Amino acid sequence: MVRVKSRYLLCEINVTDRNSLLLLNDKAIAAAVKEVVARIHGDYGAAMCSLRFSVKYLNTQTGMVFLRFPKMSYKLLWSALPFITSIDTRWKKIPCFLNCLHVGGTIRTCQKFLIRYNTQQLHRMLPNCQNEEEKEKIRKAILSCSIIQGAFEDERDDNEDEP
Amino acid sequence: MSAAKVKMRQKKLRNQPASVQCLSSSVHDESSPHPNAGVFARARAAEVSAMLRAVTKTTGSCHVFGALPRHMRRRAMSHNTKRLPCRLREMANRMREKCLQGGVKKKEQAKNKSRKARRRHGNMLLEFNRRQRKNVWLETHIWHAKRFHMVKKWGYCLGDRPTLKCYRPSYRAMSTHCLLQDLSYYCCLELQGEEDKLLDCLSQSMYCFSHSTGPTFAQRLCLSGQRQGSLVLYRAGQFPSQPLGSVTFLWRPRTPGSVHRHLWTWVHPTLKQDVLTEFQSVCQCQSVVPPHVPLVMDAKVVSTTDLEPKPERKHTPGTKRKQSEKDAGGPLAKKILGDGTRSPETPVTWKSSSTGILINDLTMEIVRYRLIGPQSHSVLTEALEAATDCDVRAPSCLWWPNHCKEESKMKLHQQQTDLFHTLKGVYSTAELPPGIVLGLTVDDPRLSIPPKRVKALSCVKEVGDEKRKELSLRGVPEHCCESFLWEQSVRNNVTENKISEQDLNRMRSEVLVPGSRLSPVPLQGRVPILLVHQPGKQVGHEMNSWGAGWDLLLPKGWGMAFWIPLVYRDVRIGGLKMSLTHSQNKGVPHFPHDYPDCPAGARFQGEQESELLEKFKRRPPAKRTNYIKHGCLAPFSCPWQQLAEEWDVIGSEGGIQAQSTSLGDIAMRAERTSHHQVPGTKQQTHFTVLRYLVFFMTICYVMFTLVPVALLNFIPIILFPRTRKSLRLLSSWCGPTSSQGQRSYCVREMPPLDHTAKKSFLASHGMSLVWVRLSLLLKGKPDLHAMVSVPTADDLKLLSRGGPGSSAPQEPPHRDHLKSTLKRGKKGTKKVASDTPSTSGQITTTSNDPQLSCPASDVVLGVWPNPLPSVTSHCSRVTLGWVTQADFSLSAGCGEALGFVSVTGLVHTLISQPLEHRGTVLLRNPMSLQYRFAKINIEV
Repeated sequence: MVRVKSRYLLCEINVTDRNSLLLLNDKAIAAAVKEVVARIHGDYGAAMCSLRFSVKYLNTQTGMVFLRFPKMSYKLLWSALPFITSIDTRWKKIPCFLNCLHVGGTIRTCQKFLIRYNTQQLHRMLPNCQNEEEKEKIRKAILSCSIIQGAFEDERDDNEDEP
Repeated sequence: MSAAKVKMRQKKLRNQPASVQCLSSSVHDESSPHPNAGVFARARAAEVSAMLRAVTKTTGSCHVFGALPRHMRRRAMSHNTKRLPCRLREMANRMREKCLQGGVKKKEQAKNKSRKARRRHGNMLLEFNRRQRKNVWLETHIWHAKRFHMVKKWGYCLGDRPTLKCYRPSYRAMSTHCLLQDLSYYCCLELQGEEDKLLDCLSQSMYCFSHSTGPTFAQRLCLSGQRQGSLVLYRAGQFPSQPLGSVTFLWRPRTPGSVHRHLWTWVHPTLKQDVLTEFQSVCQCQSVVPPHVPLVMDAKVVSTTDLEPKPERKHTPGTKRKQSEKDAGGPLAKKILGDGTRSPETPVTWKSSSTGILINDLTMEIVRYRLIGPQSHSVLTEALEAATDCDVRAPSCLWWPNHCKEESKMKLHQQQTDLFHTLKGVYSTAELPPGIVLGLTVDDPRLSIPPKRVKALSCVKEVGDEKRKELSLRGVPEHCCESFLWEQSVRNNVTENKISEQDLNRMRSEVLVPGSRLSPVPLQGRVPILLVHQPGKQVGHEMNSWGAGWDLLLPKGWGMAFWIPLVYRDVRIGGLKMSLTHSQNKGVPHFPHDYPDCPAGARFQGEQESELLEKFKRRPPAKRTNYIKHGCLAPFSCPWQQLAEEWDVIGSEGGIQAQSTSLGDIAMRAERTSHHQVPGTKQQTHFTVLRYLVFFMTICYVMFTLVPVALLNFIPIILFPRTRKSLRLLSSWCGPTSSQGQRSYCVREMPPLDHTAKKSFLASHGMSLVWVRLSLLLKGKPDLHAMVSVPTADDLKLLSRGGPGSSAPQEPPHRDHLKSTLKRGKKGTKKVASDTPSTSGQITTTSNDPQLSCPASDVVLGVWPNPLPSVTSHCSRVTLGWVTQADFSLSAGCGEALGFVSVTGLVHTLISQPLEHRGTVLLRNPMSLQYRFAKINIEV
């Protein structure tokens, strides 16, 4: 079995103002990546980036993004990522930088990592809370994702009945 | 992308998380400037759950192994979940269950027991008993079922033919050594009563003949019990018409000082009910004797097993399985002996208050084996050994020790044993007088079973020559025909006290020298048996007494105990097919097949017709034989009645006609006249079969005892000696020689065939059929229901010119009226719709034709619809009759057929033929157009 192999990068978009994160979309991020690769690696890098590069997933609320690069050139492209300082959206320029959390061979490994990472983050948030209300909310969130994990089995059974 | 691809993609990405992004710009305004930790935490949680879903759920395919990379998928995974990796197995199992439940809505299957449990003896017996409830199993059923193609016939499971290829070896066994058959399915009816009253009842109503001349139950030799007799039964008081079928019968020898007699009548199972009701009405035995508990011991046991509700086989987890099974199955597992289908309440005994006659239905009570072949006596003498006496002083519940105490019985036993030893010196079974009976008591034959199959051969010794001569001339003296098999109490005693195979094997294992004979014989091991000689071929002049043999009658339950020792004497085993071949080679009609005038025979013909028609319909229509084109009116069953009627008409016409007119013309004319007759005005006379039955009689035997000529005919008015004479006459008219390659023989002077003789002959036998044997002159193998036709003068010229093979004429192909009418009918209706005047005339012509205006609904293409046209004049050669048994005869080396022809037609044919070709007819198979020359033979 031969297949085209890729690398998936799980990156975190770090911004100063969390609200500006909501303005992002995948096209803007793709454009920003292409632009910075062209700037760092020139035409060769731009050509590499035009080939099978895509933003597979973007969560504007948490700032997580999956980037797909071709496996043969991902190191080159990856090296350009730290040079992103801002992303242009339609309305305004958002200053930010990308922090690469994980490099995976499949989307699935990235997803698995993301689950682990997010739960870890939630647990970390818990002691830093200022007031009881927040604490309660975070606890609820942790509980919810753990409950979901348990309830997931039932949900899956239900889904299987669908054609 | 095509719609299907989009759909597939959607299905694949169903569980993948979509990007979360707000497209509207208004989000920015609404969201609070400082997002609190709660919102953020919720977003994280939502993402986790989405990712979780994506990770755990595989692709859109519902198969679990979609989760596997392709190179690890295997086809067998879909049904064998153990092929999957562990992590997917559980899920796959659940999916499978769901599929099985929801998908097909399969019936909940009862959990089968393991093979080991099923093969356990008790459970196996239970299963066998369950399977025996519908059809009766013979005692040798299991043995047969392993080696034979079984058929369900007449309420029994019978072996049809062996799975081996052994047609020829079986024939060879019949003609040189011995062939064994299990005939236990024949039903035995027992009549008990005083001799005079029995004879009165049977003879006065069964026949209009006086006993002195007729073959009745009162035959002198048979009445003494020395011979087995055989005859054709008729309905009471209806002698010339309404035959029931052929039966064999056996009287118990007279006990001195008593007039009480027993009569066993052996009937075919198809015939049993008819005969039983006939006997009941004749003997006025209407009052039912309720089944007696000790008498029908075994039946009772069976019944309790049948009626008891099956215990629920649910095991509570605590109890041991074996124990509970023993409790439940212990008393149930009792082997069925005898008739398993009959409920115990069914009466088997009827008594008459006025005459004191007792009718007993002994179906499946007595096992009957038939050994056919010249060496069958040596097989018997080698397999059986006369019972050794024992001296036990103490009273015993077994029958033999009690018998040993009586001097007279032991003397009788000694005499019987001597006779049995004399039998060893006989060269061939055919030497013995036909139908002799020998009663005997033998040891358990399992004790002397050889370690290997050995061929039993006769050892002819010169010593004891006089004894042998006396046996072959006089037969068995009357008192030696007595056997204790006649006693019901002895039969039951023997059946109940049989040593089981297990015990016997245990005793064998305890013998000091392994493989040596067990001695002394255990007390239970004495069985009363009855040996009945079966005569061989008695008609005709060649291969005399071919296929003679012995019948071995045993009490029930002992079937397998005798079967295996017989098999170890290297006999061949035959099935139903082989008994057909046997009677075919003997030249006698086989019971249900060749008795078209009996109700059982008519039933059989109907069954055979539907069976053949089904077989015909199973072929694709384009591959079926078109019997209409072959000019074959009745490929599946023969319309004997129509044949007899038509020939009757032809005969009456032909009597008036000049001699020169050919038969074909007469037939055509007769057909026309018969067409004018309204069906209601036809005389409702049934066709009759000119039948005679040779009563076991050989020429040497006639010198010693006065055997009345045993002959039965079917012709009213005429007394039977004249019938036999007329058959002889017909036989002599048929020509000087018999079949191919056989020597000619001299017959007594018979009146030559001329017109006066013919006229007087036909006056008495107008509507009769006669059983003939046809042997083909040249090549060819006749088939079932082949037509017997009259050759024209030109055909006979062809024959005398004598080009081998090519000389026989051919039937010109017929036109399939039916098919063309059907086609025309389709076209015609179309055209009528479009209203053209030219076709309307055509339609009227077709509707005028009486033969073609049949309803098209139940028409099978290629077979004539039911109102058949004239059967005699349908083909270019006039039809005489049909063949009911046909095969290549291994004994004659040419094709041979047996069948019925019309007497009128035969006589007409014979008289029109020149002397050198007299008795030559044409034979044509239903599936061919080629006629073959055959020689007709009537064997008396």
